Order: sequence, then structure tokens, then C-alpha cells
Amino acid sequence: MKYKNLNNYAFPDKEGRFGEFGGKYVSETLITALEELEKVYAKVKKDKSFQEEVIKDLNDFVGRPSPLYFAERWTKKLGGAKIYLKREDLNHTGAHKINNTVGQVLLAKKMGKKRVIAETGAGQHGVATATVAARHGLECIIFMGEEDIERQALNVYRMKLLGAEVCSVDSGTKTLKDAMNEAMRDWVTNVEDTHYIIGSVAGPHPYPEIVRDFNSIVGKELKIQSKKEFGKYPDIIVACVGGGSNAMGIFHPFIKETKTKLVGVEAGGSGVKSGKHAAPLSDGKVGVLHGMKTYLMQDKNGQILSTHSVSAGLDYPGVGPEHAYLRDIGRVEYQSATDQQALKSFHDLTKTEGIMPALETSHALAYVNKIAPKLSKSKIIVINLSGRGDKDMFTVAKEDGMTL
Amino acid sequence: MTRLEKVFNQKETKNKVLVTYTVAGDPNLGSSKKILNDLIASGADILEIGVPFSDPMSEGPVIQKAHERALKKNIQFKDILNLCKQIRIENKNVPIVLMGYMNSFLALKNKLAKELNQAGVDGVIVVDLPYDESKSFFNNLKKENIDLIRLISPTTDSKRLKRMLASSSGYLYYVSLKGITGAELKNFNEVKNKVKKIKSLTNLPVVVGFGIKDAPTAKKMASFSDGIVVGTKIIDFIEKKSTPKISNFTKSLKKAIN
Repeated sequence: MKYKNLNNYAFPDKEGRFGEFGGKYVSETLITALEELEKVYAKVKKDKSFQEEVIKDLNDFVGRPSPLYFAERWTKKLGGAKIYLKREDLNHTGAHKINNTVGQVLLAKKMGKKRVIAETGAGQHGVATATVAARHGLECIIFMGEEDIERQALNVYRMKLLGAEVCSVDSGTKTLKDAMNEAMRDWVTNVEDTHYIIGSVAGPHPYPEIVRDFNSIVGKELKIQSKKEFGKYPDIIVACVGGGSNAMGIFHPFIKETKTKLVGVEAGGSGVKSGKHAAPLSDGKVGVLHGMKTYLMQDKNGQILSTHSVSAGLDYPGVGPEHAYLRDIGRVEYQSATDQQALKSFHDLTKTEGIMPALETSHALAYVNKIAPKLSKSKIIVINLSGRGDKDMFTVAKEDGMTL
Repeated sequence: MTRLEKVFNQKETKNKVLVTYTVAGDPNLGSSKKILNDLIASGADILEIGVPFSDPMSEGPVIQKAHERALKKNIQFKDILNLCKQIRIENKNVPIVLMGYMNSFLALKNKLAKELNQAGVDGVIVVDLPYDESKSFFNNLKKENIDLIRLISPTTDSKRLKRMLASSSGYLYYVSLKGITGAELKNFNEVKNKVKKIKSLTNLPVVVGFGIKDAPTAKKMASFSDGIVVGTKIIDFIEKKSTPKISNFTKSLKKAIN
């Protein structure tokens, strides 16, 4: 299927679907909570004072707008297209994740909830949630896989300092998907006083829409910045995709701008052919998990497969339903980068630009590393530099054979 | 009359229905079959058989581990269908209801309803398929006379309930608490009022499940419903390797509710 006209692109539809993807596949107990969230969100979306409150926090608390930075030395080194970085790593707490939590915590307060919960993989969403919970004085519980707690010890400690309780999840594969299962279990038990702050454009409707909208500040800023900086929109925008929130945030305002090519880069792990990866859009099948219909890594019996990626934040067997739709209509091209390619790009950017990217983001860099040299110097690539790499020190050191 | 209708028709004799839940292939296929036969022999009226899934989001720790044990034995959907067939060969009357998650049923695509029918399955419960998403699934099952058993929860309001009842069959499963399987059941009166409300709107039988772990609770729950579901406690026996105790426990429940 190839898209024809995107002028009327307005998803999700009334049923919470993006084409066949999305929906609300949850237990009956959660339906009322989702319907309430849908209703409240529809209202605040049009509420000027609510939107101003969000913008105020994005400016004064997060530090937006984030700069658009010309990576001059890296561009020269690769010798092709001009490369710009949208510096989400400079946000408060170090990643794009805070754009969403700043908005969702205000939603939670609007609904009168006293307690927020969240799942986290790399810990960035957990930290971003704990941060806004502290800012608003709400009780905060973060669910995190046992394996991720080990590889992201710094973020675990940050969350605790912020006053959050971090619950270790030792079921299943002990990573992000299991943390999400556990958060769902908590939510269904405490649904009356608790808001679940999902951290990606995933989960049941209306989450993919809410998380996308709060993150699309990134793409909106880029539109203004790129017009000012080079008098046109970028030729190519590249972002890494796990659940897909940073990618959706920068892509969404450009969906109708079809002259701009959009590329999402999944975690190729040891290589897509090896089976050890986290790239459902490259090598998955349609199914239902965590409340949504989307592409999933699964076996022929519908069991969810364990994933592999050097970056905890991309180590997820599913992907947001809007990405599944954009893939099928051909508006976004999805590629993958391996662990090794991502690690190499991590080092390259650190040494060439003095910017240490998150390992998740390094997957997007790895793709640009490959294509930029083949493109003419007049072309402009913008990468969503979704997060900083401080949290990954232990992982990188281990990969390099060092102990800290 | 379907097997499920027959079981609930005993209502005239005022017998309450005992529904048991175990996971297919836990701790292995052979034992699973023996446990199911023991359950029938000691009074189970309906067998809910869990389809093991890698991400059982609505289950408490005890049932989660049952799913994990079954998956370690590499239980496939075709094994579960075979298990149902074997039970059906030996017992023509006991209704069999498969309970699981949407992705397991989706994996069988359009062959699902036919395969279920051929295996002697009477109904299906899909934990993460709420009414709103179930239209085509419901219709496909209907073609093969398989009932889609609806879950109703404490948060289901009357308006929604009425819509759901318009496309329900078999029986209704009232989830007694907001939470996961095996959680603590505290508010009996709330359950009672809700079940009465449901019964005032439909002729379908209503069974109560989640959090029923002993005979006294079973008795109370059965006093205002058509039956009860017990799962976690039975699986607890399996986990502790004391399956011989399951028969006596089941008998005590059966006695308590009637």
C-alpha cells in the first residue's frame, strides 16, 4: 500500500485506530479509566489555559525550545549532506521523555489523581515521571525490569532521590515489556486514584495520541527553526524507534510535508537476520499486546519473543500503532542499525562534536553515518538527538572491555 | 441446547455451578489432563482452561508462574486443542471454555472457530478483548456455535452493560474486584449488589470469579449468583506439588455452594 494524499491525515479515528492498528485491547476494568482519559484529554486539547500551562512548564522547567545544532565537524568528516541535531539531550533530565510527562502529570491532576505510575526501560521515562511527580507532590511508583535495573543503576538512583519507589520486575524477560505488564497490573488494581503515565506512543487508545501530541513540540519547533536556518524544511529527518515516541514527536508535524523524507531506525541488535534484535517493523508480524494492535516480534503461536538490544530503551518487542500505519502506507521508511554500528556512532559523535548521545539515539546516528556520505552537500539531514549518553557509561565501558 | 445451557439449566434444581480454572500444560500436558479429569470427578461443572501466554497481564503471581511453567514445556495451541479433544472423548457433557489473551487466538487466524469446534470447545474468554473490539471476533465464533463469554467488572456502568448484554451468550463472568487474579476480595456487598443488578437486566447466568479461595467465600458468592470460579487456589496446589489435595478441595467447594 502506498499513500496517495495525506492532506486529510487525521488519526487516530473515533475508534482509536490508525488504519487497522491501535485500538483498546485491555481488560474490562480499565475501559472506564481509558474513556475518562479520552474525555478529559479531548477537553484540555482545546483548553487554552491548559495548553498555556504546558507551554510554561516546557519553557521554564524543561528549558525549551531545544536548539537546532549544525554538526559541522561530523558533516565534514562524512563529506556529504549537512547534518543538524535537534538537541533534546539538552532538556531537563536529559531526554525527550520529559515533554510527555510534563503534559501527562497536568492531565493526572486535572482528573484528580493522587498517584502516578510508569514503566521504564532505560530509566529515562522513569526519571522524567519521578521528576514531574516531585514537582507536583504526587506519589510515584516506577516499574522496571530486573535486568534493566542492573544496566541502568544511575537512573535507578536518580528516581529514588526524586522520591519515587522503584519496583523491580522479575517476571518474563525482566525488561521493558514485563515492566509494562506489571504497571498494567498495578493500574487495574488502583485505577480509581492512579494515573498511568505511559512513556511511549504505545498502549491502548488514547495513549498513542496523547504521547504523540505532547512530544510533537519537537517537530513544531523544528519547522520554525529549519525555515529560519535554511529557508526550507529538512530533506530528511531521522530518529530512532523503540516504542517510537521521539520519532513520532519529530515526524508528526511533517507527515503532510511529503517533500521531507522521514526515516525511523530500529534496534538491529546482532543483526535482523540473526533473530536477536528489537526491530518489529523490519521483522515482525501483526498482533495484539499491551492494549494495541501493531507489529510485534512473536512466534507462530503468538508468544511474544524476547528481544535484544544494547540499548535498554529500544529493547521492546512492539512499536506504536501509528508507526505501524505509517510503515504500511509508505510515508515513513524504517531501517535498522546493529549494536556495533550504534556503539561506533556513539564514539564518533562524542569525539567529533563533543556531544555524548544516548545509545538509543546512536542507532539514528548510525543510519546517517551510512547515508550522509552518499548525498550531495546541498541536502539537509536533521537527527532527533533524543537523549544524552551519561546513563550508558557502564554499558559502553563494558562493551569496550573496561570496568569503572 | 448447548452444553453450557444444559449445565445452567440445572438451576431448576437450584444447583450452583462450580467453574475451575487451570492452565493447559501446567505442570505438563499429561498431568494437566489428569488434573482436569480429577476436577470433573470431584464436582467441577465447567472447565476453564487457560491458554498459556508470554505476557499474562491480568494474572497475579500464582497464575503468572503457571503460564511460565507451561511455556517452559513448550505448549503449543495444537497441544491445547488435543487436550480438549481427549477430555471430550471421555466426557461428552462437561463444557470446556478456553481462557486466554487475544494474541494467542489471533495466531490461529480464520481457522480458529472451526478448530475450537472440532476440539469440542464450548466457549472462549479473551481477557484483553473488551466488548468494543470484539464484534468480528464474536461473529466468527458464533458461526461455529462457540460462545464468547463476557467479563463484567466493578467499573462497568449500566449503559455499557446493556450494550454488552445485547451480544452475550453462554454465561457472564463477573470479576469480583478491581485487580488481578488471586487478589484479596474484600467487599462482598458491593459484589452482591452488582450481580443483582446484572441479573435484573438479563436471563443469562452470572458466575463470580477472582479472589475466591475457600469454601466459606465460595458459599457467600454462590448465594446470590449462579456459580463461582476458582483458579488461583487450585494452581497453588500445583505449584506446591500437592495436586492430590485438589480433589478434596474441589469437593469442599462443591458442597459449600449447594
